[in-house]
Amino acid sequence: MTRRILLQRLLLILGIDLAGLMRSRSAHAVNAASLPDPAVFDPPLKTETLSRAEMGDLIAFAEVLVEGRRLTLAERKYLVEHIEERTKRTTGYLALYQLTVSTLRRLVGRRFGSLEISKRIDLVARHRLGTAQVWPGEDLGPFPEGMRAIRTRAVPDLIGGYYGSPAGWAVVGYTTFPGRCEDLTRYVRAES
Amino acid sequence: METEVCIVGAGAAGGILAWELARRGVRVVILESGPRHDFRQRREYVRRYLKHENPWRTPLRELDRHTVGGATPYHLEWRRARGVGGSTLHWEGYALRLHADDFRLRSLYGIADDWPISYQDLEPYYAGAENALGVAGAADDPWASPRSTPFPLPPFPFSYTDRLFAPACRSLGIAFHHMPQARNSVDYGGRPQCRACGTCHVCPTGAKASVDLTHIPQAEATGNALVLTGATVLRLDVDRSGQASAAVYARPDKVERRLTARVFVIAAGAVETARLLLLSTAPAFPDGLANRSGLVGKLFMSHPSLEVTGRASEKVYPYRIGFSTAMSRQFAVERGRATHGAFFLEFMNSAGPTPDQIAVASDQWGEALRKQVREEFGRRLGIRIYCEQLPDRANAVSLNTRVRDYYGNPAPHLQQNVGSYERQALDEAKEVVGKILAAMGLTDIRPSSLMFAAHQIGTHRMGADPGTSVVDANLRAHDVPNLYLVGSGCFVTASSSPPTLTIAALAIRAAEHIAVRLRSAGHAAPGRSLHDNEPITSLQHEDLTLSARE
Repeated sequence: MTRRILLQRLLLILGIDLAGLMRSRSAHAVNAASLPDPAVFDPPLKTETLSRAEMGDLIAFAEVLVEGRRLTLAERKYLVEHIEERTKRTTGYLALYQLTVSTLRRLVGRRFGSLEISKRIDLVARHRLGTAQVWPGEDLGPFPEGMRAIRTRAVPDLIGGYYGSPAGWAVVGYTTFPGRCEDLTRYVRAES
Repeated sequence: METEVCIVGAGAAGGILAWELARRGVRVVILESGPRHDFRQRREYVRRYLKHENPWRTPLRELDRHTVGGATPYHLEWRRARGVGGSTLHWEGYALRLHADDFRLRSLYGIADDWPISYQDLEPYYAGAENALGVAGAADDPWASPRSTPFPLPPFPFSYTDRLFAPACRSLGIAFHHMPQARNSVDYGGRPQCRACGTCHVCPTGAKASVDLTHIPQAEATGNALVLTGATVLRLDVDRSGQASAAVYARPDKVERRLTARVFVIAAGAVETARLLLLSTAPAFPDGLANRSGLVGKLFMSHPSLEVTGRASEKVYPYRIGFSTAMSRQFAVERGRATHGAFFLEFMNSAGPTPDQIAVASDQWGEALRKQVREEFGRRLGIRIYCEQLPDRANAVSLNTRVRDYYGNPAPHLQQNVGSYERQALDEAKEVVGKILAAMGLTDIRPSSLMFAAHQIGTHRMGADPGTSVVDANLRAHDVPNLYLVGSGCFVTASSSPPTLTIAALAIRAAEHIAVRLRSAGHAAPGRSLHDNEPITSLQHEDLTLSARE
């Protein structure tokens, strides 16, 4: 499943631990200068990003998918963070998002984000764009490659990104959730 | 480079051993294959973990190559961590002692083999390990073996869901008690109280004990311990007298280096320790170092595991802490274990799908999706089962010469099958758990598929007979007098309990033995203790013969 494709790169630099070395050098005849330089194994982050207009269209599509309403600025921010991280860190997502935006524009004949929310909802319903499942032999319309990519890859990715964010936890009534440290006693009682 | 003791691996066993030796004045070098994970990066690691990434994965991917086989393959991904801290970086923190019966399966039930030491032998070291790691618990486990000391920290209170499980267990006559854990219920050891971050796989506060926080820095602070990271040991060399003479290691530049020492300790986990021994062939050891018994790599075990969940009519508020607070050891001891395998029950505080999992699995979108997530979330309760796996020679770690690691060495191959003994225990456990969940009024009760805990056990087991074991009761290799193999690989049987506290206790005990050997040769000086809590010494050092080198 698309959203299960794991991000692959750690940023760690593997090298000698100079702090530990300095602490212990009095006890050991080890010359830090004689040790090789740390080696970097991770590829650099990708610098190419979506344009502002592309991001606007993608968010306009995502807010229809995840809530069916205009999101607040804070909610949109979580989506933007998710999209930016994907494009920077995982190969293929920039192209997927760009294909999504261009396919939507071709469907509408103009920028998707320029449509009112009600029209966007109608369009998503009419073209079954919110449904990740594609049936064998299903007619995907005039842009089948883009439609397939949207439904099978972009839709689960955007939905997963949103509902995995604080906005998603807010939907189920949690203001604290995994990754946000707080009150140790909360777990012993029901939520109010 | 030369040192007194070379330790391979900076995880639970190696880290604790390093501290125990360094504080006694023994000079130690730890060769750690992975990096030192900067504690300040843990917030970033949490973020990655929440994105379903494994943040502890080594940057040098080719180091972790391995292959699996057997009917129930055991994969290592997510089940081990390479780096300073080892698997304590990502463990759940459950810190249970084994039961006295776990050491005597042959004597009591006629199955498997007895350990060469008893619970009573290990008890003082358990106490020391609990103090050093900071174990929170209560003496409410009716099936726990006797303790000489109280838990150092008070238990975590039972959770909201525990109070749903408890009456059902009571009605069925099933014991329900606190889960001991190496996690701060109050500030302890310079580390803060747990703040319920819910991501114990990465503890962002340091409330969960891990030896990169509890032992390694203290060992380094003595001035007697040095940790070399990114230093992968490729083989151990032996001299003509049959003693280990050097650890040959390389850093990512692949240049071979040698570290000589008086004593070598391999503490790289059950898989990598066995692999390193098998890689270290010599004319005197054509089948691998310390492998005259032919048992290195054999008798691999883990804990076959299942989760059984059911749907509640009311919300049960999961995912507010990342660990469980209650368990039952009732089915793990004092039963006919010849025919009834041991299992223990973990009453889960978090079960069922998270909001994103519900959303992605849904075929809804928009307002309907939101409603579905809201309605579905927080309605499942679950119990996790850990089952004892008996030792079986067919389950083994071997070398796969067709797959090579970063340094060109054969990768480990793990062969794993779950036998009828374990399957019957799992079936019984599912039945017990099903009754508990049904008594709670849950519906849609479903077991997961078979899983394995992140516990790798066996592969260089201890024993008195060099023909049927690899190390002796002090974890010294029968075949190589200055080589020790420390960690869960030395366990004779697996019990159903998590292994880490026993790893820690055995490491303390082995360190004591090594220090006595070195001290008698005039090498070590008196030291100091962690948290001013010296483990009680009950070990009889029956063999203090030092090598010619010493």
